[in-house]
Amino acid sequence: MIAIQAVALALALIVAGTLFSRRALLLYRLIRSGKPASRSGDLPARARAEAVVVVGQSKLLLRLVPGLVHAAIFWGFLVLFPTIVIAMIGAVDPHSTLPWLGTQGWYALLVDVFAVLVLGGVVAAFLIRKVQRPARFKGSHLGEADLILALIAGIVCTLLLWHASQISMGLNDYPASWAPVSGLLAQGLHGPLVPLLERAAVWAHVLIILSFLVYLTYSKHLHIGVAAINVYFGRTRARGRLEPIEFEKPAEDVRFGSARVTDMTWKQMLDTVSCTECGRCQDVCPAYATGKALSPKLLIMAVRDQLMAEGPKALASNGSYVPPPIVPNAVTDDIVWDCVTCGACVRECPVGIEHIDHVIDLRRNLVMVESRFPAEAGAMLRDVDRSSNPWGKPQADRTHWAEGLGVRVLKAGEPAPDVLFWVGCAPAFDERARKAAISTAKLMQMAGVDFAILGPREACTGDPARRMGDEYTFQRLAGQNVETLNEARVRRIVTTCPHCFNTIGNEYPDFGGRYEVVHHTEFLAELMREGKLTPMPSERTITYHDSCYLARHNDVRSQPRELVDAVGKAIEMPRHGERTFCCGAGGARMWMEEKRGTPINQERVREAAATGAETLAVACPFCTVMLDDGVRETGAKLQVIDLATLLAEAVEKRRALAT
Amino acid sequence: MNTVVLTEPGDASRQMVTLARKFGEPLHAVPMNAVEPFAPDALAAILQGVADELNASAVLAAGTERGNEVMARLAARSGLPFAANCVAVTPGSPVTLTRLRWGGSLLEEARLHSARPLITVAPHTVPVEAGTEPVDVDVKRFVDGLDERDLAVRVSDHVAPGSGGVSLTTAKVIVSGGRGVGSKEGFAIIEELAGLLGAAVGCSRAVTSAGWRPHSDQVGQTGTKVAPEVYIACGISGATQHMAGLKGAKRIVAINSDPQAPLMLNADYTVAGDLKEILPAISAEIRNGR
Repeated sequence: MIAIQAVALALALIVAGTLFSRRALLLYRLIRSGKPASRSGDLPARARAEAVVVVGQSKLLLRLVPGLVHAAIFWGFLVLFPTIVIAMIGAVDPHSTLPWLGTQGWYALLVDVFAVLVLGGVVAAFLIRKVQRPARFKGSHLGEADLILALIAGIVCTLLLWHASQISMGLNDYPASWAPVSGLLAQGLHGPLVPLLERAAVWAHVLIILSFLVYLTYSKHLHIGVAAINVYFGRTRARGRLEPIEFEKPAEDVRFGSARVTDMTWKQMLDTVSCTECGRCQDVCPAYATGKALSPKLLIMAVRDQLMAEGPKALASNGSYVPPPIVPNAVTDDIVWDCVTCGACVRECPVGIEHIDHVIDLRRNLVMVESRFPAEAGAMLRDVDRSSNPWGKPQADRTHWAEGLGVRVLKAGEPAPDVLFWVGCAPAFDERARKAAISTAKLMQMAGVDFAILGPREACTGDPARRMGDEYTFQRLAGQNVETLNEARVRRIVTTCPHCFNTIGNEYPDFGGRYEVVHHTEFLAELMREGKLTPMPSERTITYHDSCYLARHNDVRSQPRELVDAVGKAIEMPRHGERTFCCGAGGARMWMEEKRGTPINQERVREAAATGAETLAVACPFCTVMLDDGVRETGAKLQVIDLATLLAEAVEKRRALAT
Repeated sequence: MNTVVLTEPGDASRQMVTLARKFGEPLHAVPMNAVEPFAPDALAAILQGVADELNASAVLAAGTERGNEVMARLAARSGLPFAANCVAVTPGSPVTLTRLRWGGSLLEEARLHSARPLITVAPHTVPVEAGTEPVDVDVKRFVDGLDERDLAVRVSDHVAPGSGGVSLTTAKVIVSGGRGVGSKEGFAIIEELAGLLGAAVGCSRAVTSAGWRPHSDQVGQTGTKVAPEVYIACGISGATQHMAGLKGAKRIVAINSDPQAPLMLNADYTVAGDLKEILPAISAEIRNGR
């Protein structure tokens, strides 16, 4: 009997092992064929991500109920893992078990408890899917999910049944008193059929596990195997930084983004096969929320389907087969251009998918190879290239905002000040954004800061061109600005624009520019803490809108709130801090028409107005313009004001009172 | 060596012929008007037939809208590689060429591996040189052999753009409305004044966002950039996005209830007040004067 069962197990293992390894090998070869991406080093940060995101389930637990459901199943599987071996031994010989662990009472207890937790988790997950039916699952493979849940339930139920029948027959190698659930079930098992049930349960258990193992490599449930790897290779620093294109490499090695699945990096390929279609990204995406073509989930799924359909053919042909372009075959042009690069999807994704990198690579190909992009953005690209600012204004006008303020303009060859005030194009040229620059300059003067501006020597950082996919123009501007800043020996930079802040701080180091870059909200909070600025508190109610490039990409969240608390009473919007909702201007969307769906800025203004606050505080020139437009369009009773202006008014009030 | 060219009236075509001679003479011309009205697939089919029959070494056309369209369709149906908007070519195997990319801001050096390269020449980049002129091919046989599907895409009608036919890009005077106009119907007084002045009607982004006017009327960074003699801005605050489209305007007249609006500060003439009173008054005055 033992011999027959041993042969049966060996056969099952060979069949499952062959099917599994064939598929696993294909996936491995496919991902190895991806283009290079630098994801080495930073071991402590990677270990931390594994501990927090994978083992700790931090991102899943952002949504408490589904998070706990998943955590119960996931932790349950970690605990139950050794039972696979125990069951295989038991399937061959009912009288044997895994040495030591199979005889431990505490482990039997753990197995019992977690088996029940997993079962509870499966039932709850099923209820969420069938009764609550959250919108985030729209477009996901729902039948596949049902099958997977059924398989998990099958694994756990057969395990409990096996244990119960073992106890009933006295075959348990651990003290039965340590297994309360199995023990309770065993009380209901009597009669001549119990030995048969024992065999049936253990064999069903083993066979379901083996089928599950094979099935998951062909399904979205592959995340069980690859999510932990994808999280490990995630970005460890500077989430707002884009990977530069190295134009000086030999022409055939330069990758102008992704035209086809074979152009993708291995990390991007790994991203797509990690997706389990949970839809958390879709749920937080401002484009999707306002009825646009983009859903980050469907984008990744579409690229994955194209990769799985075309990748193996290309692999088998040794490069002679050229797959069709991703756009528009798998992903339409509209989807690529709807993205605001706000990073909400990346922030939310529990398996470490980096959606922005996919979008930017598709844009790079469309812009630099195909010359195909929304026509209205062409003027911006041209103006950034020729006039060094997105509106084509004369560079000589860059200091107009500072007229009469006595702000020093740093000339070539002059010694650098303590702080270089990087004004940015929008604050320099836009009437509405200008107020923040004026207020910041006045506050720095009041606090006695030694600062200067570059004036006409400042050029656009290149951020809008880069987020459009125009890497050429970006790198030219980056090189020019780095040269100016290095020549002036600038060390510390303050800027009111989170986009300039992100680009200079996170991206210029790639081009030889290393400076301490501080956002004006951080700098002003610092001056306030040092007692150099003392504002007058008030009862004014303020709701603060976090800029994506500040709060999410760069973790600046507490300092703006210090400023809000110093000048008024804070009321938070439902979506704030790290989970803020975009104003609609990021990713160069500022220079494109919002032709699809409803306007993002109006959605955000309605959220702000619902707080009942009088003031909508902002800390970004683009948010200022977008939300001020939104207030005008919706007729909301809100004043959109930059934190610097709020602070300047409060400090001046205090001064007036003192004199 | 036979070379086939797609010819059309104008300098661009004659410039193209200069480069085409490098691929060998005689030059055989298929004129763009071989099929009337314009049907790009039909022309592509004729070019393919002629090139096959003459065993042509290359097919060239001017890099005009129509030239590029016909050649793209020829490339698709013949499977031959196509290089558009070239400024220099050297025949050979492979053909080396220089072409315009990114709307002319970059020059690309490329090699084209093809027994029969398809090339269009960017207009006004090559001088016209004297030499053997192309001789028109008798295309009747090929026209008769056309398939119905080759005529599926053809010009069926010419429709003038809306808004009275005065285009924003060429208008001497533009009367433009912003959010201050208040509604779609509110544009009646703007259209009235524009009609009296022979002006084009424009608008700001806020207006197209609200759905009051089509995007084709929008003036600004993401709309049309205009250069009129006079720009009359009514109820437009003057966001940077709008001002970026006005750089070419010689004179700006702003009518706005808010004297501090950016457009009022940047205008040559300003009228502070309600545009719903001011515009009809101006229109009435013009009528009285006639």
